[in-house]
Amino acid sequence: MTQDVHEQAREWIACGEDLAGAQQEWLQAHLQGCPSCHEYAEAAQHLVRSLRAVPIVADRSLVQSTQMRVRARARELRQRRERLVLVTLSCALVAVSSALTTEFVWRGFEWLGRWEQLSNPVWQVGFVLFWMAPTIAAGVLLLANGTHLSGNGASQG
Amino acid sequence: MNATACYFVIGMQNENAEIARGLRRRDADLLDRLIEQYQHRLLRFLIYLTRNREIAEDLFQETWLRVLERGGQYDGKHNFSTWLFAVARNLAIDALRRKKLLSLDAPSPDDEAPADIPASGEASAFDLVAEKAQSERVNKMLDGIPAEYREALVLRFHEDMSLREIAAITRAPLGTVKSRIYRGLSVLMPRLKGVRE
Repeated sequence: MTQDVHEQAREWIACGEDLAGAQQEWLQAHLQGCPSCHEYAEAAQHLVRSLRAVPIVADRSLVQSTQMRVRARARELRQRRERLVLVTLSCALVAVSSALTTEFVWRGFEWLGRWEQLSNPVWQVGFVLFWMAPTIAAGVLLLANGTHLSGNGASQG
Repeated sequence: MNATACYFVIGMQNENAEIARGLRRRDADLLDRLIEQYQHRLLRFLIYLTRNREIAEDLFQETWLRVLERGGQYDGKHNFSTWLFAVARNLAIDALRRKKLLSLDAPSPDDEAPADIPASGEASAFDLVAEKAQSERVNKMLDGIPAEYREALVLRFHEDMSLREIAAITRAPLGTVKSRIYRGLSVLMPRLKGVRE
């Protein structure tokens, strides 16, 4: 018998699964005829029993605090998703209303410009500023408050 | 496959699919149940991986938070425990890298002995003492072997995972997993033999 045969037998003993019927038979026959591999198999069994006997248990307080943290985080993620839905809806509404009203507001600014005898670039700049004012104000508020997704900023982690 | 095995496999698949659906919904009740169910196994795995109970407990919590946040990535086609242990393993490796413990083998000065499960009451006092002493010896021996061997041995013999599951968790080829188990046992066995003699 070569060294490879013993190594093969010991590897099969160690991994102990997925052995086909013929392999099982070969291993059994080998173990009966090879005292060193037989001893290895017994030692492996003893070691596995010893490994399985090592007791480790999670504390109740660890489990409970984990459950509480997970629940708090789940709540936070749900609130964040609800806020995101609100922001998305608001954006959609703003886009639709802009598309519907831009022409009327433009005409209004044009009429005001003529009435006040302003040059075209002046009332056009006024129109752009008027149009961007809500976005700029919202941006400043959001920057001041962190990000629109972060909630009160204290619940991270 | 016989009828009982078939029933068992289908049951497992249904359970995994149910867990996947719950995780996509971020169902807190489901997570409570899973934390209860896997508490000891996950903590044991993390303690063996990090060899430090305090770090392992932090990682235990981080793992479940990650499961909540990335639960949508679990497809329900594989065992939940395989995915859970892979998540825990990745977090442990990241944490150890952050702590500049680049090697999982480096001994940790503040290692703690794992807590004991209360004894069943059937064994004699002598048996209990002997068993506890033996467990401590095995623990110490496990600490002394390379981390990849220890991980493979713990997953195989503590967690009863198949070689394929271990390969999925450790992202190692099947042959490598077999070799790690074989070599791990080969390293441990002479030490255990020395203790028995």
